[in-house]
Amino acid sequence: MASNEQPNSVHHHSSLQKKIKLKQERRQHNVSFVMMILLTIVAFAAIASDAISNSVAVLFIIVLAGVQVFFQLYIWMHLGHKGHEFPMWGIASGLLIALITVGTLVGLIW
Amino acid sequence: MDVGERLTDQNFPESPEKATLEGKNKFLGFWLFLGGETVLFATLFGTYLGLRNSFGKGPEASEIFQLPMVFAATIILLTSSLTSVYAVLALKENRVKQMRRWFFITLLLGLSFLGLEIYEFVEYVHEGHTFTSGAFGSAFYTLVGFHGGHVLFGCLWITALLVRNSGRGLTLYNAPKYYLFALYWHFVDVVWVFIFTVVYLMGKVG
Repeated sequence: MASNEQPNSVHHHSSLQKKIKLKQERRQHNVSFVMMILLTIVAFAAIASDAISNSVAVLFIIVLAGVQVFFQLYIWMHLGHKGHEFPMWGIASGLLIALITVGTLVGLIW
Repeated sequence: MDVGERLTDQNFPESPEKATLEGKNKFLGFWLFLGGETVLFATLFGTYLGLRNSFGKGPEASEIFQLPMVFAATIILLTSSLTSVYAVLALKENRVKQMRRWFFITLLLGLSFLGLEIYEFVEYVHEGHTFTSGAFGSAFYTLVGFHGGHVLFGCLWITALLVRNSGRGLTLYNAPKYYLFALYWHFVDVVWVFIFTVVYLMGKVG
């Protein structure tokens, strides 16, 4: 275990700078929470209301789900932060294969 | 610095979850694992989408799904995702007690989500929607149940983490563990976003 240490990576940031950064981050998280609640409400309302035709509503809520996932991955899971280049490849290739899988299975069973 | 040494405000690294090689490896490996999980759930979603109108002997999806209950479950899980974000923020500020409190609230919300889901499944079985009532039933319980299994696993995981590290401060050894749990929990929420959209909302309109 001791050989895994990397003392160089311990940075001494000025505490004020760090505080400001964390405060900004907290605000970002709160904003994305409110956004996701709103997106959820809109999705449920779109289905519950009779004003929108069903096929349009389905397309609409799938787009809303995509936006919500963006908020989760980028803001809450910090995928946009520095040092996430490899994780990005991991999740992006996962999403690509996921899309192909869904398309293939739906096409096969149709 | 020793990995087991309690972190103080003086020696606190910028990203304690990635300050050691082991932490870095866990971080990368976990993201790759999540990529694999995405594909795993995609197979279940694809199967469900193909079979969602083959009701067999069971009731139709639009008859049994109760949107208010699904909405409540969605809000609970979304809020638990926020509380785990707060826990990670506390982790970055080296506030152990606050972090553990937020993770504990996350656990409680996860358990209430599970309770709601079990109640929902019991209701469905009473109405004739079972694993064997039709292809729709099989695909539904496999997909939604697998997600519920992930929630259950997450609850056990955070319980183990909280118990094992009770009375301990943050160290370079346990910081990556806490951080990865938060990532996992967000992922479980991501899957739920697609479940409430594809299964429940789309099921309601047929």
